[in-house]
This record gives sequence, structure tokens and C-alpha cells, in this order.
Amino acid sequence: MKRVVNGRFLLRELLYSKKQAAIYILCVALSLVSLIAVNSFRRDIDRSISGDALALHGGDLILHSHYDLSEGLQRAVVELTEEKKATAVRTWAFYSVARKSDESGSLLCNIKVVENGYPLYGRVDLASGREFFQVLGAGKIVVGQGVLDRLGIAVGDQLQIGKSLFEIADVILYESAKPVRFFNIGPPVLVSYKDLAGMDLVKQGSRIAYETLLKMADATAVNTVAAQLRERGLVGQERVETFRDAGSGIKHFFDNLLFFLSLISICTLLLAGTGIESSLSAMLRLKEKNFAIIRSFGATGAYLLRHYLLFVLILSAVGIALGIVAGLLVKGYLSVLFSDFLPQDIVFRSSVADLSEGVMIGLMVVLFFTFLPLWRINNIKPVVIFRSESSRAKKTFSYYLCIVLGFSGLCVLLIRYLGEVSTGFYFLGGILLLLLIVTQVTRLTLYFLSKIKWRRPEARLAMRSLLRPGNVTQSIVVTLAIPLSLLLIIYLVENNLRGTYIDSFPADAPTLFCLDIQKNQQEAFRELVGDKVTLHPVIRARLISINGKAVNRGRELKKRRDNLAREFNLTYRDALLEDEILVAGDTLFRKDVKGEPVLQVSLLDTVAEMGDMKVGDILQFNIQGVKMEVEVSSIRSRTRSMLYPFFYFIFPGKYLREAPQTYFAALHVESEEIPFLENRIVQSFPNISTINIAEAAKEMGRMMQKLSKIVNFFAAFSILAGGLIIVSSIFAARFERIKEAVYYKILGADSRFVLRIFFLENLLLGLLSSVFAIVMAQVAAWSLCHFFLGIPYVPGWGASLGLVGLTIIFVVTIGLLGSIPAMKKKPGRFLRQLN
Amino acid sequence: MLICTGCSQEEEKELMVESNNEGEIIIVAVGDSLTAGYGVAEEESYPDLLGKKLKSDGYNCRVVNSGVSAETSSGLLSRVGWVLGLNPDIVILETGANDGLRGIDPEMVEKNIRDILFRLKEAEVITVLAGMKMTLNLGPSYVKKFNSIYPKFENEFDIIFMPFFLKDVAMKNELTLGDGLHPNGDGYKIIADNIYPYVLKAVNKKQNL
Repeated sequence: MKRVVNGRFLLRELLYSKKQAAIYILCVALSLVSLIAVNSFRRDIDRSISGDALALHGGDLILHSHYDLSEGLQRAVVELTEEKKATAVRTWAFYSVARKSDESGSLLCNIKVVENGYPLYGRVDLASGREFFQVLGAGKIVVGQGVLDRLGIAVGDQLQIGKSLFEIADVILYESAKPVRFFNIGPPVLVSYKDLAGMDLVKQGSRIAYETLLKMADATAVNTVAAQLRERGLVGQERVETFRDAGSGIKHFFDNLLFFLSLISICTLLLAGTGIESSLSAMLRLKEKNFAIIRSFGATGAYLLRHYLLFVLILSAVGIALGIVAGLLVKGYLSVLFSDFLPQDIVFRSSVADLSEGVMIGLMVVLFFTFLPLWRINNIKPVVIFRSESSRAKKTFSYYLCIVLGFSGLCVLLIRYLGEVSTGFYFLGGILLLLLIVTQVTRLTLYFLSKIKWRRPEARLAMRSLLRPGNVTQSIVVTLAIPLSLLLIIYLVENNLRGTYIDSFPADAPTLFCLDIQKNQQEAFRELVGDKVTLHPVIRARLISINGKAVNRGRELKKRRDNLAREFNLTYRDALLEDEILVAGDTLFRKDVKGEPVLQVSLLDTVAEMGDMKVGDILQFNIQGVKMEVEVSSIRSRTRSMLYPFFYFIFPGKYLREAPQTYFAALHVESEEIPFLENRIVQSFPNISTINIAEAAKEMGRMMQKLSKIVNFFAAFSILAGGLIIVSSIFAARFERIKEAVYYKILGADSRFVLRIFFLENLLLGLLSSVFAIVMAQVAAWSLCHFFLGIPYVPGWGASLGLVGLTIIFVVTIGLLGSIPAMKKKPGRFLRQLN
Repeated sequence: MLICTGCSQEEEKELMVESNNEGEIIIVAVGDSLTAGYGVAEEESYPDLLGKKLKSDGYNCRVVNSGVSAETSSGLLSRVGWVLGLNPDIVILETGANDGLRGIDPEMVEKNIRDILFRLKEAEVITVLAGMKMTLNLGPSYVKKFNSIYPKFENEFDIIFMPFFLKDVAMKNELTLGDGLHPNGDGYKIIADNIYPYVLKAVNKKQNL
């Protein structure tokens, strides 16, 4: 019987491919390590982020209404709790004027009445260190420090709320659910439900936010139960939300962060695949002549394919085993290594599921990305011995079938990562399109380069070497450009996420907003709070039409995010703020012959985008009954945090100075000083409303810093893994270049001449790859930010240029280093070694 | 016609209020989000409904919506000059709800409204004052003080007084938006119907001058 596998042949192949096999094994191992690490950390971090979201919203499910819950919804909640499927806690939140017992002072407070068991998630920390549930009880309330400071009272004193007199039992240091309600006018007061009736404030004619928070026994049932409850609630009156979709500004950030982690997983997957494909291709290309010789001795294509499939599987198995060991080591030591880098409350778990999933994905990636190089072996003809160029694979029906099957597998993986079929397809479509474009553009560029008449012989030879028939320039450029662009995409998206969310909470961000400052109070207000404060005039107006086309208010009001139908705050000034830059138009406002600005408006890029407005468009405003038609003179963008004041529409000063206006101030005051400053402001100017955002900003800042660490860590990890894969790809391709060096030496070139050719050749390879990578990454990162994340996009050209420089240095250095052995050795000897 | 200070002649055309037909009575509805029509289309807001109703009943009136969401009585006081620049014959004044919801001292609210009414009186504008009542969650003491503000002006000024702007609408879930505060389209229909007799009184007063 004919032997299916020739063990000696296989062993010999394995032993004689040491270097190339090592690179391949390294790629497989590296891809597996990064996949296992990214995947399992992603789950850990998802858990941590979910924990934060739960603490913020206080429940898996949040039932919200401004009226008592409807009968249907109430019954549904009772059913869930009776069947032990959920635990429920009700809260009643409202504003009320609390009074000192001697009637000597009063303060608007943010009251929340809570049932036993509150909070279901998160915590309430008290100044005394006691447990919240032990302190709160009938007649006893806990209050924010602001209540004590602003009313001049202390713990143990009494406070009148509604018809009840309470004892202040403790001070709230931290309440995890607080930041959701960012703009609270009054300090918080927590009251036990036992006093709900006694206060006599929750009744017909009161404005109350009724909430029922549910903690599900089975966390996986959250979405199903939410859908069932929504069916039983009153449309337009009752809102049923899960902690993931509850309407807080943080939700968008959580979504985006999780999406970013998915993106990193996908990029790692593709990076790993590219590394595997390029190292195997390089390895097999070097062996083409050997294959042809073996074929000429009577071996079939299937024989070679069978052996090399086994060859690849053995190497992959070694790579996977190495990957698992390294993965376990990385996981085991990561919490120690990155203890300062990662949030402390992240729990690292190594599960068999993570490992087996990693192995499965690793195998799929190996199979898909090794298919094309292996397929080529099948079609190598003995005649290749006499040809200088590589053979081309014959594309049969089974070839296309395998491609389709492999591609479908990859689709399934991507969809699994992204959690959505349509997003998965968009992604794949986008990646394929980019691949196609970069391949075609490379081909075209090389074609045009071939038409240029180079004068210097080194340049001419370098170009001919790159353009010779059967060369691998195109595949090298594509192989390099794709991982580079993936890395740049990660960097750019991370940078934009950071810019939008994380840098929005810097240490010097405003902590106190003052609204409704009147024109005649400006000077006195400045004197009170300090001269440095900027007072922004605020003029309320509506946008009526854009270029004569009325704003469709019905359609605009249905938009989930900001819309053009609402009232806007206009302002006037004649210069840009320090955090503003012009993105369209030469100056903020055009000036007439006298040097005075004509009637125009400058738009912020976000509002310009909302209404597809551009410089030169004519907008009509209704400023409290007065219509005003203006031309758009410029479009601005902001470079600083969203906590700093900003205005969509800016007019030249002279046109709105007489319009009805109030002033707005954003101050940075240390949190412990705020209540006293608030008191002074309100005593001097009772009409001014102050909003203390210090605690919320601090809490948000803390959370953003934590998330920033996660983003940094993932990006750094992925970039490191990707960088290693790129280096290995360059090493893999280096054998091609060495062969070239040997040929030049045979033809009599000296080492310096060959080095110059190599330098130029590698320079061009690096330049082409990085430029294509930048174009692809910029397009992809912009699309991701614009269409998927919904955040403003900053291109980061500095990083892009840095990438060009680094790539060129990388490619040239590794290319030249690789050619040094070839320079030093006698060509004949090197050729013998090479084969 | 209203012209902003500092505007050149060719710019005037862009800043003017629509000039009135001969004999047309200009009614300016001044107030906060309840007047502006927060959360509903402009044609559903009460000033728009009122204007249509007056027209269909044969009155030569134009109603200008000068509502500003989130505005307090202090804000309104500071823009009385602007409102008067619209050359109103009648002003429907609805303010104070935001002061109440922010717990601003009722004495301050009273002073502001009094000042606004003085300015309107000086300008010989017929005023319809829409009273406001505060939500009960603010506490009995505050609510009592706040609710007592508006009726005082009925005798103090020669105004037409509507006791409660949100009569039959406030806190009714079928007539308000999901926030339980701002009227929806149906709510505004009721408000327009409720305020109509008071406005007619003002129109007749103007016609009889």
C-alpha cells in the first residue's frame, strides 16, 4: 500500500526550515497570546464597565415615570418579585425647599425618598463610616455637605421638609448613582420611604420622578424582561430602560468603549492573520524550486500539499502550545505588571473557556490565512526550476469554494466580536474595499514609477528590482500597509475617544456654573467671585430656516440627539476663544471697508454638521420675536473639554449687544469652598442660579481616568503585538532581498553600490506602505468615529507622519541588516546555503 | 420696525419685525418654555393657536411668540426693552414658573413681575397677566407664598388677569409631555381656549381706546 505521509520527508523539511519555521511559530504564538489576552481581558473589563453602569443607574432595569406606575406595570413588577426573578426598590425624587427648624433659613434641595434595599447596586458612603441602611430610618435623613454648609447647621440638627421635621443623621460622602443627574440645582437629601406619607409632598399636583429599580436574579434575562415590561407600560409616559441603555451621557461612552475593545480584537485578529500569511508565503516562496525538483521526481501536487499541510499543522500546534503557555504567563503576571496601569477592581480570571476559545479562533485564523500560500504548492510545476519568477496558483472551483468557506468563517468571527450582523458586514465590506483599493493603487503607482526615467544607476536598478516580473513588491506593500493601517486606526480611534470623553474632565475644569446673571449685575458679580471670570452673554433664539428652507421642526424633534428645532443660546464676541480654531472661512467675521464686521454668524462644526451648513449659507433666526437673516462667515471647532462653555452660534458684538441677554459664568472653585461661595452669590444676587458640578465632575473624572487606563492598555498591548508581527513580516520578506543582493554581487557590484540599491528599494517600500496605510487608516478611523461612534474626528497628522518615519526606519534598517550577511559572504557560498 | 443699535441702513432690512397691516393689533406672547412651546412644533404652541383663532373669528391681530425656554422673571425683566421694541399693543405675560422650580425667593419673583408690569404700564401696553401656581413638592410654606404673588397685581395694575395659565392642563398626563410639566399639543389647545376670553377682553379694550 502506498504511504500517505512520508515521515522522513516531513522531518527533513521541518529540520531544514528552522529560521522560517521559527518566525511562523512566533507569529502563531503571538497572535494567540494577543487574542487570548484581548478576549479574556475584554470580558473582564466588560464586567467592570457593566458594574460601573449598574452602580450609576442603581439597577439592571429602571422603570421611570412622572406619575405613579400604571397598574399593568405595577402588576408585572409584583409578579417578577413574587416569582423571585427580581428584587425591586422604589424611589421618589423631587426638589423641595427645606427649612431650618427655626425658620431662619431655607434651601432648595434634591430630595430622594428610597425604600429599604436602596441602592441595589453601587453604594452610599457616609461620613461616619456607618452602613447607609443602618442610618436611614423614620425621622432620620442623610444629606450632602452642601446642605449643612449653606444653611449653617450640623449633624444632629433638625430640618423641615414638607410637613415632617427630620433629624440630620449623617453626611453623604459618595453616592454612586449621583453623576447620572449631572446638573442638580440643589444638594442631595436621602429620606426613608417610611416618611413618604408624613412629608405630604408626593401627591397630585407635585412634580415627582417615580423610579422602580430592579435587580434581576438571572442577569441574562435583562433584555427579555425589559421588552416584556415595555409592552405593559404606557407609551410616552413610562420608560423602561436597562442599565446599558438608560439615558445618561455616560451610556454613549460605555458603548463606544466596548465597541473600541471589539475593534481591537478584530484588528489583532487581522494583524495575526497577516503575520501568519506573510511569514508562510515567504517560507514557501523560498522552497518553490525545491518543490519543482520534488515534482520532477514524480511527486504529485496533492503529495506536496498533504505534507505541507501537515507541516503547517505541526508548526501551528507548536505555535499554539507556545501561545497557550505564554498566554497563561501573561495572564498570570499581567495584574502584577500592570497594577498601576489598570483599574484596581478588575478581576483577572483564567478560564478553560477563554483558552479553548482562543485555540479555536487561533486555528481558524491559521487555516484561513495559510490557505492561499498552501494552495500555491498544489500548482507548482517542475518547469519552475528553469524560471526566475514565482509560479501562479491555478484557481479552480474548489479554490473558490475554500475561499468562500474561509471567508464565511471569518464573517462569523467578526459578527461574534461586534455582536451585530449589519455592523459585521459593514466592517468586512470596508476592509475588503480598502484591500482592493490599496492593491489597485499599489499596482498603479508601481506602473507609473516604471514609466519614470531614472538617471542614477542605483535608482534605476532599485526600481527594476521592484518592478521585475514575478516580483513580490505588491504583496509586500499590501502586507505591510494593512497591519500599519490597523495600528494607526487603533491609535487614531483611541485618540479621538480620549479627546472626546477623557480629556473632557481635566483637573482645572469648571466646578460651578452660574446662570441668569443680569446685564446690570456684571460688575458686582465680578467683584464677588474674582475679576478673572469670563461672563458669556446668552441670547435665546430659534433657527427658522437655512437658505430659505424652513427647519422641519417635526422631524428635528424626533432626533435622538441634539436637534435644530430647539431654542439655541447665541452669543456675541469678535474673537475666537483660546480653545477654538477655524476649520472653514479665513477669519471669524469678514469686515467691511471701514474695518467693521458685517452681519454674519460663525458656526461651531457640530451644529454645522447637524444642518449640513457651510460658509456662505444664509440662516434666518427668530430672536424672541425679531427675525434676523445672516450669512455664515466661518466654521469653528473646539480643542478643549466639553465642560468649558461653548456656543453653536457667534455673532459680531455690535449686532446683538442690545438684544435681551443674560450672562453665564463657569468657575473653577475647590469643592469645599463651593457652598460658601454659593451662599455669597445667592445672598447678593437672589436671581442667579448656581449649579455645583464639582462632585459629579470629580466622579466622572475618576471614572474617565479609569477607563482611559483601559483604553491605553488595550491600545498599547495591541500596538505592541502588531509591531512585533510587522517586524516578523519584514524579517520574513528579507530573504527575497538577500537573494537580490547575491545576484548583484555575482554580477560584480561592490558592497556600497548594493547597499545604496537596497536603501532606495527599502525606502520606496517603506514610503509606499506607510502612505497607503495612512490613507486607509484616516478613511477608516474617520468612518468609525463618524458613523459608529458619533464623535468628532481629529485626524492626528503628527502621528501619521511619525508612522511614515518609523516605518521607513524600520523597513530600511531591517532590510539593510538582513543584507549584511549577503554582503559579507561569497555569493556562491551564500547561494548554496540559501538553497 | 425694530432696528438694532449700530446697524447700518442696508442691514436694517435684515433685522426688522414684520410691519403691521393697517389697524392690525400686535399681541406679543412673552414668557418661558410654556409660551415658547417647548417640545412641540411651533404651530402647536398656544401663541400660534391663539393667532389662528383670532384670525378665524375675524380679528385683525397678529400674535408674536416671544417665549424663551428656561427663562426666569429676572431674565424677562432684563428684556422688556426688547419686547417693547416689537411695538406691541397687547402683551400676554406668563413668567415665574422657572423661578418657582428653582426655589427662588418668592419676594424676588414678586418684585420682578411688579417691575415688568410697571414698564409695560409706562409704555401704555395692555397687559394680560397669566398667573402661575407652584407644584406642591416645593413644600406648603413656599407654595403658599408663591401662589399669593399673582392675584396681588390684579388690583395694583390695570391689567387683565387670568388666575392660572395651566388651568385644566397641569399635571394631567394625557395633556402634558412625558416630563409631566410641559403641555403637549392637546394641552396647548386647552390653554389657547382658556386664555382666549382674556385676550378678547384686551383686544376690545384696545379697539375702544
